[in-house]
Amino acid sequence: MTLLRTRGLTAGYGPVTVLHGLDLEVAEGEIVVILGANGAGKTTTMRAISGTIPRAGSVEFEGHDVHKSAPDAIVRAGIAQVPQGRGTFPELSVEDNLKVGAFVRRDGGGKIGADALRWFEVFPRLAERRSQRAGSLSGGEQQMLAIARALMSRPKLLLCDEPSMGLAPLITQELFQVLERLNKEEGLSVLLVEQNANLAMHMADRVYLLETGRIVASGSAAELSADDSIRKAYLGF
Amino acid sequence: MELFLQRTVDGLSEGSVYALLALGLVIIYRGTGHLNFAHGEMALFCAYAVYQFGEWGIPIGIAVVMGMGVGFLVGATAEVALVRPVARKSAFAVFIVTIGLFQFLNWLDGAIWGGQQLPNTGVGSKQISYPSLFPSADTDFVSIFGAEITIKSLGTIGLVLVLSAVLFFVFNRTKLGLAMRAVASNADSAKLVGIRTNTVLMLSWRIAAAIGALGGVVTAGNAQSVSQSLMFSVFIYASAAATLGGFDSPLGAVVGGLAIGVIQNLTAGYVEWVGQEMKVGVSFLVIVAVLLVKPSGLFGTAKVERV
Repeated sequence: MTLLRTRGLTAGYGPVTVLHGLDLEVAEGEIVVILGANGAGKTTTMRAISGTIPRAGSVEFEGHDVHKSAPDAIVRAGIAQVPQGRGTFPELSVEDNLKVGAFVRRDGGGKIGADALRWFEVFPRLAERRSQRAGSLSGGEQQMLAIARALMSRPKLLLCDEPSMGLAPLITQELFQVLERLNKEEGLSVLLVEQNANLAMHMADRVYLLETGRIVASGSAAELSADDSIRKAYLGF
Repeated sequence: MELFLQRTVDGLSEGSVYALLALGLVIIYRGTGHLNFAHGEMALFCAYAVYQFGEWGIPIGIAVVMGMGVGFLVGATAEVALVRPVARKSAFAVFIVTIGLFQFLNWLDGAIWGGQQLPNTGVGSKQISYPSLFPSADTDFVSIFGAEITIKSLGTIGLVLVLSAVLFFVFNRTKLGLAMRAVASNADSAKLVGIRTNTVLMLSWRIAAAIGALGGVVTAGNAQSVSQSLMFSVFIYASAAATLGGFDSPLGAVVGGLAIGVIQNLTAGYVEWVGQEMKVGVSFLVIVAVLLVKPSGLFGTAKVERV
């Protein structure tokens, strides 16, 4: 079943249009990767979906049109975004970061606390630092915290904007393994934006190639890497 | 010893007023990054409003609560009509707008209560006698270790302590407080977790202005008179208190306010050549010294992040 579908998604900043009509789809339980160079519009795509910048075109989530919804309504609908860089609240403790992540939930402190404990199990290093300020964590730990924070809203779709940025390859691998596990075990759908084609292709069910705000190719990871011209021009291996 | 105790308590009482104003400055600053230059004048307008309610025969207790309501409305109006439209353009524009609001409110006070026809600087405007919140007759004091501590001082200090406790609870134990801290820390991510950041910023302005109203009433009440220039120096001390405590720390605002009150009173009392005229200078020397060692203030968070 299709979870997210955009048709002719257009967005930009002021007079500058960055996205020129994207048609994207993410099915339930899928990991979809958007690849593209700097300035291709990857982050803008994420922001357009999460409603944090003005957009045009249709965005459907679980069959409902959400393209006019405010960011908080989109989180409530079940889309959580891990923004590029550090999506944490540096002055807040690790624990409070998770609590804020559950801001839209109405199901009471007990269940929210239980969820927090669960993510502490998945990311043991966060558990050790639960009362520290998030700003004092290392880059990798902050990225883990940003993901855990996003998961606290119990999303159906997780938008991840370049989680590998600025991280050591081993840490990136660890993060990707966690995402894959959540996908397999919990059926969490993931839309991942990456520059690091090599790593991301391994776990992708499907891949979109983005260039200057347009989709130039799409298909399964195997299909795309089988195409020599695409591989050389975009994937760099 | 009695004298020392007396001067300290008087200083705490004066400092409490600075703390009340500084709290509002800090609440707005940490939420929005804006320095509200009109904060003192918003407080003064509310103080005048409470005086007006009193003239209409409303008991002082109810009038104060109504005054805080006026503050809430003034904060709302300022934020919606003046700050929000320019905030998108530049933070500096907000600063200029609040200076304009400062001028406007001061003129408005004069036009309504000052008995003048024309806008003026407010200096030397009509003094109106003002009801005190606390018993302040000459006999209203308690003797502690021989020092005569006025009920007025104790009441003012108590009021600030109670308010601080309430604010501490709201900031640290409620969902609204969590949202306010989240927006202060990272407004973009706050949006992504579903916090309506605009609502939170709006509330920051309103809460700050309501607390400011209380500050205005206490200032006027303790002085037992109100005039257009009442808040000028208080606002400067409150800014100093916020700077000393750390502009993003409510705790810092309270501690900074109390510290400035005490430092001023003690140096004015004990150092002969400082006296009443020079006491302002002393607290600013202390501030400079503190900022040289700790640029973010005593309790402020230095914006340092690991990468």
